[in-house]
Order: sequence, then structure tokens, then C-alpha cells
Amino acid sequence: MSEQMPGLPAPKPDPATAGYWEAAGRGELVVQRCGECGTDRHPPTQVCYVCNSLDWTWEPHSGRGHVFSYTWVDRPILPALAPLGAYNTTVVELDDTTGVVRILSRITDVGRDELAIGMPVEVHFDPAGDGIALPVFRPVTEVAR
Amino acid sequence: MIDLRNQAAVVGIGYVPFGKRGQYAEKGHLRLVVEAITAACADAGISPKDVDGYSSYYTPIDPPDLFEAFGGERLRYASQTWGGGGASMCGAFSNAAMAVATGQADYVVVHKVMTMETGARYGQAFGQLGQGVPAVGGPMQFSVPYGLQSPGQMFALAARRHMHRFGTTTEQFAHVTMHARAMAANNPEARFRTPITVEDHHESQMIADPLRLFDFCMETDYGCAVVITSAERAQDCPHPPAYIAAAGLGAPYRFGNALMSFYNQPDDDFASSGQRAIAAELFRLSGLSLADMDVAMVYDHFTAMVIMSLEDFGFCPKGEGGPYVADGNLGLDGPLPVNPHGGNLAEAYTHGMSHVNEAVRQIRGTAINQIPDATNVLVVGGAGPAPSSGMILTGER
Repeated sequence: MSEQMPGLPAPKPDPATAGYWEAAGRGELVVQRCGECGTDRHPPTQVCYVCNSLDWTWEPHSGRGHVFSYTWVDRPILPALAPLGAYNTTVVELDDTTGVVRILSRITDVGRDELAIGMPVEVHFDPAGDGIALPVFRPVTEVAR
Repeated sequence: MIDLRNQAAVVGIGYVPFGKRGQYAEKGHLRLVVEAITAACADAGISPKDVDGYSSYYTPIDPPDLFEAFGGERLRYASQTWGGGGASMCGAFSNAAMAVATGQADYVVVHKVMTMETGARYGQAFGQLGQGVPAVGGPMQFSVPYGLQSPGQMFALAARRHMHRFGTTTEQFAHVTMHARAMAANNPEARFRTPITVEDHHESQMIADPLRLFDFCMETDYGCAVVITSAERAQDCPHPPAYIAAAGLGAPYRFGNALMSFYNQPDDDFASSGQRAIAAELFRLSGLSLADMDVAMVYDHFTAMVIMSLEDFGFCPKGEGGPYVADGNLGLDGPLPVNPHGGNLAEAYTHGMSHVNEAVRQIRGTAINQIPDATNVLVVGGAGPAPSSGMILTGER
């Protein structure tokens, strides 16, 4: 369960996805890369959508990207989330990948009036128990650079 | 290649009165769908025992249960399509049409039913979430743990992207609901008949920014059924047939689970209904064009997705759907009237079945807001999940 948003279910890793969640648990963002043609992809799957190869590796990523789209959820489905107030779920497009890689995540440390499409963001991690974590993002600040 | 154009027809429609969420929970799914099928068969002038095929989409009902319930002589055809909610609904009609046109069955019923009985109406993962499961697997392991837990939240992502790329506004979203309410005003079966203004829309509760309460359709308890038979048999039914000129389902490149959990579509498809290819296919198969359509039933679960469906089906160029709806083009006097019954947003949310009912009424000439001499009717399936779908019904063979 997310430390930042208690009450939400954790991801249940499977053979194609465990490496992603476990890397996040170690504080590392990885992207699945095709062993044949080198195309990066997410969410993780067993087969490359470009060349249909079944070979893949986990490649470390800088964790830099930008906001592609987002919503602020004012009325959560789970009653347990109501005390947190409005939260965002955001599609982040990663920089420097081979092929488009977008990750659904959350931008932390951002005001409702600040979050915008195109905003540069960088990854950090929200522990979710059992050695795994959720990659989340925050705005890139001058200090962080 | 076999030409299925106008080889099958809708000859009967039936449904229970639209109920508010949970109203029919005690009746349960089977009772609701049995009532709807009974009514549809009466409309078609046949006995439920004559039904020898069942076709549905994303359904909680197994065909053997229906077959057993009615004591049919022989079950000859059963199928369903996938795609969340009502996305693939017209695929169920395509399957039924193929079955009766190729002689696999004589009378196929397309049915869909929903009550809050199971708590699973948003799909299994959503249903489980209400029960506080500790972990979620499958595709939704990448969305649900971040709090993306409802269709409205997912469609908000597409709406936001559309606003960003094309300057679409929430005022334009409001016009979609304003149109639906205006159409429903004289429809006694509609759940929401009170007109609203842009101000009313903007004062309604924000649910998933940029989508407000009045951008959402309202969950409805319903049971709907439609009888489909061959064009030849249709001549013996009491009502004028609504021939299936074309029906089908599909999804574009990399649409995947789309907004449910995927997000890697090409940018033009991200802020779209994912229906461009389906539209082209329907017009190719039917030999008709959008200009030939007299009225359109556009699946309207969320206002923003109506705008995107209109763009994908060519009502207006890509990116111009917002101004198109705000300029009054959906109305009865517009170039192509949309949802004269009030649609999902004002009449009832039946995962698309009530759009088919209205299409058939328009062809029969019995609609409340009747389009004069309506012959060709476009039906657009739910936007968002893959596969989506579409259908063209016609009164002329």
C-alpha cells in the first residue's frame, strides 16, 4: 500500500512486471527494452510491439520526463482517500527513450494551479511494501538540477 | 467475399423502464433481461422460444441461462464481444447479423442488462476496489495504485489533452449536456428532462477535473433486448425492418487498453475516441457516407468523448469538435441531428442499447422527436476502451 496515499491497493507484480516494481523498491526507475530491436516500452509485456521479439532487459532510466496529461480527482472512489483532498493522476512521457514511453503516475510537491502539460518532472519513489515502490514524479527545480 | 449489407434486420426492441442505480437490484440480472427479451419478442411478433441465438457484449449473463429460462427448442448460436462497458456494443450486432445472414440461426437476440446488484458494473477491478483489496494485478496494476479508479477519471485525461491541443473548453462540454437535456424535455421515459445552462454545468460538482457532474451520464438500472433476423424473415414481422447496412468493431494502432491502463497511443489518438478506422470501415461496407445519414446516435457517457467521436466520424475536422457542438450543430435543425431521445446523458445510460432503440424508432417513424423521413441512422459505440464499434441501420434495402 502506498505510503503517500494510504488505502489504495498496491500493485500485484507478475513475471513481466516484477522487475519494474522491484527496481523502484531499490530507488531506481527502469524501462523494459527489447533485446532485439531496442525499442523501449511500458507497461511491461512479454513481447515487443515493434519486432515481436520475446527477449527483453531492464534498462535504467534517468527518471526525467514531462507531463503529457493529468486530472485532479476531487471526488475519490475510495472513502479512505477523501481526507487527502484533491489528488492528481498524471501521464508522464519519459525523455530519451527509443519509442514513446508514457507512465501513469502522480506529481508530488505541486500546486493545483502549477501542474501543466509540458511541465518537466523527475522521478522519486513512494514505498508500497514488500520491497516494491511506486515511481512518482515532482517538478524539476533549479536546485535539483 | 460475402456481402452482408442489409442481409439482417432489427425487427424487435424491448426494455424495462429505466431505473435509478440499484432500483432493480432485487430483481437481479436474469429477471431484467428475461423481461426485456419477452418485450422484444412481442414487438417482433415471435415467441421467446423461437430465439435460437444470443449475442451480447461485456455481459454478466451466460447464453445457456437464457436458453434454459425460455425453454428453447435448440440453441444454435452464442457469442459476446469484449471491450469495457458499451465500447464494443455494435460488434454484438455484427455477430448477430452474420449469424442470421449465414443461416447459423433464425432469430438472434442482442441483450444487455445492468443493476448495481453485483457491484461490478465498472468491471472486475473496479468492483474489487470497493471491497478494499490489498493489491491489484493485471493491466490495472499500473493505474489503480495511483488512484485512477473510475472511467470518469480516465476520460478526464483524454479531455485534458484535447483541451491542451485544440483549445477545447469546458463551456463546449456543457453544450453537449445542454443539447441532451433539450432533446429529453419531451421524452416521458427520460430520467433528466430539466434544461440546463452553461452556468448550471459549471456550478455542478467537479468530479475529475476537467470533468464535472454534468459531464457524466448517470448510472441506470436497465434491461434491453433487440431481435435480429434475416432480411427475408423480417418481411413477416409486424414493424418495418431496420436493416443492418454495416456493423463492426475495432481499434487503432497501439490503442491497447487505451485510457484504462495504457496511454501510449499516438498523440492524435490519445485525445480521440479511437473510432476513425471504424468509421471508414462502416462507410466502405455500407456504400454510404456520412452525408447519407439522416440522424446519428452517438454514445454519450461523457461529454468530452462525444466531441471526439464526432471528430473521428467526420462530423467536423479533428480538433473542431468543441466549436461544432457549441454552434448548435447537434440539434434537430442541424446538418446531422444527434441523439433526439436525449442519449445517455439525459434519457438513460444503457451502455448503448437505448441508442439502438431510438435508431429503430426513427426508421419506423415512431420517435418522439422524429426526423422527417429518417432512413439511414448512424449508431456510434462507446469511445475509450478497445475495441470500440459502430453500426449503420437503414430502412431501405
